[in-house]
Amino acid sequence: MSFTKKLLLAIGIAFIAIQFVQPAHNKSDHALSTDILKIVNIPDSVNAILKNSCYDCHSNNTVYPWYSNIQPMGWLMANHIKQGKEALNFSEFGSYSPRRQLSKLNAIANSIRDDIMPLSSYKLMHKNAHLSTNKKTIFINWAQQSKDSLSGIN
Amino acid sequence: MMKKIIFGLAIAATTLAACNSNSNKSTESQNRSKDTQAKSQTDNATITTSSVADAKNTISIKEIVSTYLQLKNALTRDNTTDAATAGTTLEAAFKNFDKTALTAAQKKTFEDVEDDAREHAEHIGKNGGNIVHQREHFVILSNDIYDLVKTFGGGQVLYKVFCPMYNNGKGAFWISETKEIKNPYLGKAMPTCGEIKEELK
Ligand code: HEC
Ligand SMILES: [Cu+2]
Repeated sequence: MSFTKKLLLAIGIAFIAIQFVQPAHNKSDHALSTDILKIVNIPDSVNAILKNSCYDCHSNNTVYPWYSNIQPMGWLMANHIKQGKEALNFSEFGSYSPRRQLSKLNAIANSIRDDIMPLSSYKLMHKNAHLSTNKKTIFINWAQQSKDSLSGIN
Repeated sequence: MMKKIIFGLAIAATTLAACNSNSNKSTESQNRSKDTQAKSQTDNATITTSSVADAKNTISIKEIVSTYLQLKNALTRDNTTDAATAGTTLEAAFKNFDKTALTAAQKKTFEDVEDDAREHAEHIGKNGGNIVHQREHFVILSNDIYDLVKTFGGGQVLYKVFCPMYNNGKGAFWISETKEIKNPYLGKAMPTCGEIKEELK
């Protein structure tokens, strides 16, 4: 067997072997009382943006695409979800202190304005996660209004 | 099916490559900020005590405030590397602050502020090279520091300065140790935007 053939065979075996290590899925059925839906008013247009563009990495429920069953894609996703939820979890928004809630809403508006969210690798695979200028404006205004309404209460 | 797998592999390869370059970058900038941190330790005596890794319980509010002011001054100079160093030092200062002398109510205020401010300080520390993002975090950090000074005092006379031009006309404030206006948000582009709104003693 030539070297190239051996190498290809080794890669093939490694590829098959890693398929058996599936990361745990990020899915929970019951809606938490700490969900952002319970804290601030979310119009349908904004809700659609959150669902299509953010929740896969920033909530307790990810909608998994077919390729997430192929490793190492699934591992990469699991890693994004872990880091994403640490930075911001919309399902647990209500458990943040009032100070943190305002701080996070500020970061949300900034992340859209600066085009760093959703992550570009994600936009590559999820065409409808991409935000048009119009959607961005709607979303930023929503974050701003939510901030104002929360700071009025607190 | 074969096509899908090959497609998947190709994507995996590209994303992996992208991820790698990312993490390299962050360790590199961490190393860089460690170097500069070491340097500023020798430059500045107050920091020497505060950034020693496990110098627990030696940090006062005054030191937190003075590290914040160093960060502010780095931003007025558009110096993103110094800002990152100060951000990292500030995060450590919050972590090592001695809470034992606080009353229960004071402790609650401190922890509320700490919870938020530490994250901003950390992100400013990690984003050397991205001064736009550092300044975004500095807006909310300044709010946190203001609340801290209001509760505990700053150990010196401080001023709350507001510039209405930053942030698409929404404006933002910062805390300064001098009456002279040097804007940390607009830096050298517009150093004098700002008005003293409050004197904090
Ligand atoms: C593919 C996964 C993914 C998607 C989709 C995604 N994010 Fe993120 N997000 C992350 C990760 C990972 C981080 C943490 C980055 C870090 O710590 O450097 C993050 C961080 C953040 C932060 C914190 C930034 C900071 O500086 O503190 C905000 C705010 C945020 N995301 C908002 C959003 C919003 C709003 C959306 C939807 C429009 C979104 N994200 C979509 C993965 C994602
Ligand atoms: Cu950040």
